[in-house]
Amino acid sequence: MIGRPLVLRPAGRTFADRPSLALLARADPFLLVATLLLIGYGLVMTYSSSAEGSAADPWGSVARAAVFAAIGLTLMFAVAFLDHSWLGSMAPLVYLVTLALLAVVLLVGETVLGGQRWVAVAGQKLQVSEFAKVLMIVVLARWFADRRDSIGSPLVLAGAAALLAPAVYLVYRQPDLGTSLVFVALFFGMAFMAGARLWQLTALIAGGMASFPVLWSLMRDYQRARLVAFLDPQSDPQGTGWNILQSLIAVGSGQATGKGLTAGTQSPLGYLPIADSDFVFASLAEDLGFLGAMLLFALYLVLLLAALRIAYRSRDAFGSLFAAGVVSMLGFQVVVNVGMAISLMPVTGIPLPFISRGGSSLLSICLALGVLQSIAMRRDPG
Amino acid sequence: MTTSHLRPRRLAFLALSLVAVLVILTVRLYDLQIVRGAYFREQAEQNRVLRLPVMADRGVILDRNRHVLARNIPGFVVSVIPIDVPASREADLVLRLSQLVGREPLAVRSAIQAQRIRNPYEPIRVSLKPVERDIALLLAERRENYPGVRIDPESLRDYTDGVLYAPIVGYIGPISEDEYATRRDTGYLPDDDIGRTGVERVYERYLRGTYGARQIERDATQREIKTLALLPAQPGGNVVLTLDDRLQKLLAAELDRGLAADQFSQAVGIAMNPQNGEILAMVSTPSYNNNLFARGITSAELGALLADDRHPLVNKAIGEIYAPGSTFKLVTGLAALNEGAATRNTVVNVTQNFISVGPYRFFDWRAHGPLDFVGGFANSSDIYFYTLAGGHPVTGQRGVGPEAIAQYGRMLGFGAPTGIDLPGEAAGIMPDPVWKEEVFDESWTIGNTYQEAIGQGFVSVTPLQLLNAYAAVANGGTLYRPHVLRQVLDDRGNVTVTKQPEVIRKIAIAPDNLQLLRESARRVVTIGHASMPNARLPIAGKTGTAEFGPSQGKDSAGRELLGFHNWFVSYVPKADNTDPTAEIAMVIFTFNSSKNLCELCLNPAVAITQRIYEAYLVGDR
Repeated sequence: MIGRPLVLRPAGRTFADRPSLALLARADPFLLVATLLLIGYGLVMTYSSSAEGSAADPWGSVARAAVFAAIGLTLMFAVAFLDHSWLGSMAPLVYLVTLALLAVVLLVGETVLGGQRWVAVAGQKLQVSEFAKVLMIVVLARWFADRRDSIGSPLVLAGAAALLAPAVYLVYRQPDLGTSLVFVALFFGMAFMAGARLWQLTALIAGGMASFPVLWSLMRDYQRARLVAFLDPQSDPQGTGWNILQSLIAVGSGQATGKGLTAGTQSPLGYLPIADSDFVFASLAEDLGFLGAMLLFALYLVLLLAALRIAYRSRDAFGSLFAAGVVSMLGFQVVVNVGMAISLMPVTGIPLPFISRGGSSLLSICLALGVLQSIAMRRDPG
Repeated sequence: MTTSHLRPRRLAFLALSLVAVLVILTVRLYDLQIVRGAYFREQAEQNRVLRLPVMADRGVILDRNRHVLARNIPGFVVSVIPIDVPASREADLVLRLSQLVGREPLAVRSAIQAQRIRNPYEPIRVSLKPVERDIALLLAERRENYPGVRIDPESLRDYTDGVLYAPIVGYIGPISEDEYATRRDTGYLPDDDIGRTGVERVYERYLRGTYGARQIERDATQREIKTLALLPAQPGGNVVLTLDDRLQKLLAAELDRGLAADQFSQAVGIAMNPQNGEILAMVSTPSYNNNLFARGITSAELGALLADDRHPLVNKAIGEIYAPGSTFKLVTGLAALNEGAATRNTVVNVTQNFISVGPYRFFDWRAHGPLDFVGGFANSSDIYFYTLAGGHPVTGQRGVGPEAIAQYGRMLGFGAPTGIDLPGEAAGIMPDPVWKEEVFDESWTIGNTYQEAIGQGFVSVTPLQLLNAYAAVANGGTLYRPHVLRQVLDDRGNVTVTKQPEVIRKIAIAPDNLQLLRESARRVVTIGHASMPNARLPIAGKTGTAEFGPSQGKDSAGRELLGFHNWFVSYVPKADNTDPTAEIAMVIFTFNSSKNLCELCLNPAVAITQRIYEAYLVGDR
């Protein structure tokens, strides 16, 4: 399905390089520092929202999140020492495994907040769709990397879309509109960076918009309601517009420097829904104000620009496209999650990278960033 | 590094897009947090903090011996905070609530919607009647089915002996939209109760108390988290009335007995202290149950009360006017005496039972023979008082004239409200020739004067006016303003207000003439005109029989209309003399109590009066 085999690995190298200081020294320091600071920021917000909530022991939540962070960092370093080319060569298998996992979730997953998103692995609940995002980046990176010469052909774009479609469908069926949209964002971001013709991308977007009425008819009632509420939050302040309005109140009431950690009132009193996940940014902005939000944006910017630099400097196309995919994913999630909290985007359940509570999201991001460091460490010298 | 696998321009574009998007988010955040931050901070506070009124207990109403007439008992009130009712669920909620609180869905809906406009953050009451504990518990437990619904304990006004005291005590009811508009600044709430009539209305300022306030922190499901600030409520003052429950019940029992025996169809009884204007008892029957109003009267119940032609909602002691009949000879006599048209020795020889003026005959109820003033009054001779008022066509004696009668009538309080501290008082009519000219565009005739002299003309009085005029005579010439307020007590029982007697005016009549009237009134009883067998008290008074209204057909209760009504207005001096010492005066008015004008026909008011005085003042001694 993926087409002709590809040898990415230069002769004489093994997939797993022995950890060495020389290799580590080539890791991207900006990416590393931004990652560590963002993970730390996430732990701080976990503490704050736990203390504001009814949790009897906020430190318990922090400890749990810290364990995930430790696992994530360990995985990140471990993956960094693996040659990412290996990942590229595994793409067909990765693809099949991804679809299989998503299908399994749909069949046996546990229901949380009306969506079947979780499967239990070794006693921990894992949200498969979070990992699926990273895995699909691997698949698309390989697809586009293999077809750099024929990128101008609409068939390449169509093929990528066809690869993605089953995953999008399976995730949407969970139902998880947010992750489906992340897939779509990945697709456009990576196709753009792979050099797809702009008119083809434009045509795809136009086609998507033209089919909006069809999508509307396929949407579930709550999804339509969210869209309507986004367009006019005042239409029913106690109904679907409630979340948006309360989120705006939380954000605005944070003012310049915030009410202070654990001092927010909107989420502990229940006005701000899902304050540790979908609306975590509102909670952050309420506690830490404009300054806290700016600090978060700065860290994201450093992270994303560092990732783009890695994409630019990658020794191979797969690495470049993978990095571009990660940037698309994280950038899209940040924009949508923050945009939702400040009513620039409709409400969709997309976690805010590093900040939203959830081990799966953090672990999958750490894995992706580990691959990025691998790419950075193996860049051509010079 | 020479060549990237990515196109540099697209890479730059992606990088710039990220920056641009973050800038857009930053601008929006700046607007929300810096530019409009204070506004949203306030919104967050409003979410968090709810200011709830703390109701003050309404003061109780007591009789002069602290017997409870109006009190508060616990109940539950259901209210809705409109902001917490999702528009999509309002219709459903209205339907459920209206069934539980027993109101029309439309009324509940409009109450909620009106409050949505006024102040959606404040609760609006939707239960008119206090709800039962079962329903309150149901609502409290199924909170998720009733978004925005609050259950609060509520004091429920309860009137002991509601029917007996309703004409005086009145009732409370929901404040109207207009009243709220004018009173909101003084702390009234849109779903407040307010005294609607009677003492509840007149002394609202004492009874209401001062509401406190409680600022509570609440979560999104309206659960209270904690009280942030509390301004305690000041309970209302307890109003002590001048009424004596024992006398009130004696009076009511006598009137009820007469009603039951079909002696009359409506009745009024008032007792007061002539020395200070205190009303000791006031019964107006048929009455109504004021508890119906306090608990939310149904339109059927209200319709029945309004359709009753005996006017149960009117306090007939002060709100209806009647012809005073012979009781008005007091005014005619005093005018003639004080203006020099008569003395105690003025004799009129009543040789036949009528006098003729031109073609008209004016009747007395018998040919009395020669009568002096005391005899004329005691026997209630009409011709004697025709003569004092308009002169005698045969003997040429001169009368005092209608202007003087009206002048003395007004002096004694007729034709103007007494100013009692109860709402709905009528002024009555105290006519004179000018009045007739204005109202009827006709000139006054001698016939008018004669009819006026015996209280059968245009003159119309409230029972209270009549009583008050006699009280002024009984106390030696002071017209007091009748009142029902005695004291106001605070919640610890300290007297905060004491009602002082209020003098309307001193009566400009010579003391001798007043004394002559007291002598004459006592003679009414002693000669047996107002027959009081085995009398144990020196009761003085005057009977009256008045003809007015239809004498055919039936009233709402199915009783024949008779067209004649009886009065007995009286007082009891301390000893059997003419000194102005009476500390109790009473008027009994019985409606539709006889079929014809006949002074010797049974006047039920006389016997009723005797029994009440003796039971009240003597008892079983």
